[in-house]
Amino acid sequence: MNSIALIREFLDERLGVASEKVVPDALLVDLGVDSLMMLELMFAFEDRFGIKVPSDLENPRSVGDMVAAMDGLIAAAGAH
Amino acid sequence: MVRRRVAITGLGLVSPFGGDLADFFSRLCAGETAIRYLLTDDQPRPLSIPFVACPAFDADAVLGKPLAAMMDRFAQLGMAAAFDAWDSAGLPRSAGEESRDDWGVSWGTALGGTLAYEKGYRELWQRGRERLSPLSVLLGMNNAANAHISIQLGLGGASTSHTVACASSAVAIGEAFRRVRSGEATVMVTGGSDVPQAYGVARAWEALRVMAPGNAETSPTACRPFASDRRGLVLGEGGAALVLEDWDHALDRGASIHGEIVGYGASCDHSHLVRPEAAGQVRAMQAALADAGLAADDVGYVNAHGTATAEGDPVEIAALKSVFGERAKTLPVSATKSMHGHLLGAAGAIEAIASVLALRDDTLPPTINLDGNLDPACTGVEHLTGACHGAAVRAALSNSFAFGGSNAVLVFRAVRQ
Repeated sequence: MNSIALIREFLDERLGVASEKVVPDALLVDLGVDSLMMLELMFAFEDRFGIKVPSDLENPRSVGDMVAAMDGLIAAAGAH
Repeated sequence: MVRRRVAITGLGLVSPFGGDLADFFSRLCAGETAIRYLLTDDQPRPLSIPFVACPAFDADAVLGKPLAAMMDRFAQLGMAAAFDAWDSAGLPRSAGEESRDDWGVSWGTALGGTLAYEKGYRELWQRGRERLSPLSVLLGMNNAANAHISIQLGLGGASTSHTVACASSAVAIGEAFRRVRSGEATVMVTGGSDVPQAYGVARAWEALRVMAPGNAETSPTACRPFASDRRGLVLGEGGAALVLEDWDHALDRGASIHGEIVGYGASCDHSHLVRPEAAGQVRAMQAALADAGLAADDVGYVNAHGTATAEGDPVEIAALKSVFGERAKTLPVSATKSMHGHLLGAAGAIEAIASVLALRDDTLPPTINLDGNLDPACTGVEHLTGACHGAAVRAALSNSFAFGGSNAVLVFRAVRQ
């Protein structure tokens, strides 16, 4: 599983968002992700990829932003 | 002081029987039981006590996945019961033109979101995790149910939760009643919900030695209030809700009125955490009757607290005899917990609903498993061992007596429309 697949799975499970709408340019807020759901989504990444999302990480705005941020954390965790 | 009449315009529940409100009451009056022997496969050691559950309740189907995911099961049961009551009251879920700034929620739960907390503890202690779901606090908090109900129905008035063990939802209903009667609120959603099946909670209750034993064969008869061979209570999950409404507001919108709530009394034994005292219960019943402006002779039915514990049942009967005097001998009393179980924070609400329906439908539900085995210490009232049809009762009492010595009594009056 990669980052965008996890986001798609999460949004389908929680909000019934169709996968084709979860594209890099899509804004997370437009897909129904509020501040609380953003925390849940980050937790899902921690849970699935064994990473720790820093508490001072700026909330990503788009799906692409989130993928980039999470991929960076996953890569950093793998390097240790 | 303003004292408005308070109509009961909505009733709803998620009952261990499954089905709707009519189904719930018809099965009560038929003397059926929802008590089963339940074993789950995710417990380190199997629980060997009967429980009451709502296996037919599918939160995703009833509430929708996004909403259900934001709630622990106790709040899901509460939200579903509240929607049921709200819809039955003929009120739209969206406010529209009418302000709901003084419409509120008063909810009871003894435990809150214990399933969420237990899941969290397992993650931390068993799996060695460092972090928990960010929803943990919001799933577990005791005011989750009333918060969700307020949000979903757009209710801008007071939204409170009441934790008074077995009397939680009776207190919640009483406090809601007072808000409407005083003119502080026009409409209140009230009731309660609980889920005591978290493994740790169930084990804790088991340790108190108040739980009835039972296996697959004996569970249906495990709960025997007032019987000489009673062995204790049977806990269970459920949710029950009432819509209380300013009388004139209900009339103006042409609402159907199921009944009227006319009195609420509360007291504390102030003596012992688990050993009830008749004097405290007497104070609560007398306060409720005085609040309703009714005499003991006006009451035609008592839905007893009747948990089937060794100590509790005789004390309640003694209290009833003290309050009702000579009238007690012919006073119809039943403990519907024998059929739907003890739903903790939902107990007062589901029994309030049973009392309101008894008045509305002129039928008094029985105590089951009480057939030739009445405890001599529980004599002196008219125990209903079968449904009483054509009762035409004018007023009913619903008793709820909690660990900690907290007592709450509600009084309902029949409305003949």
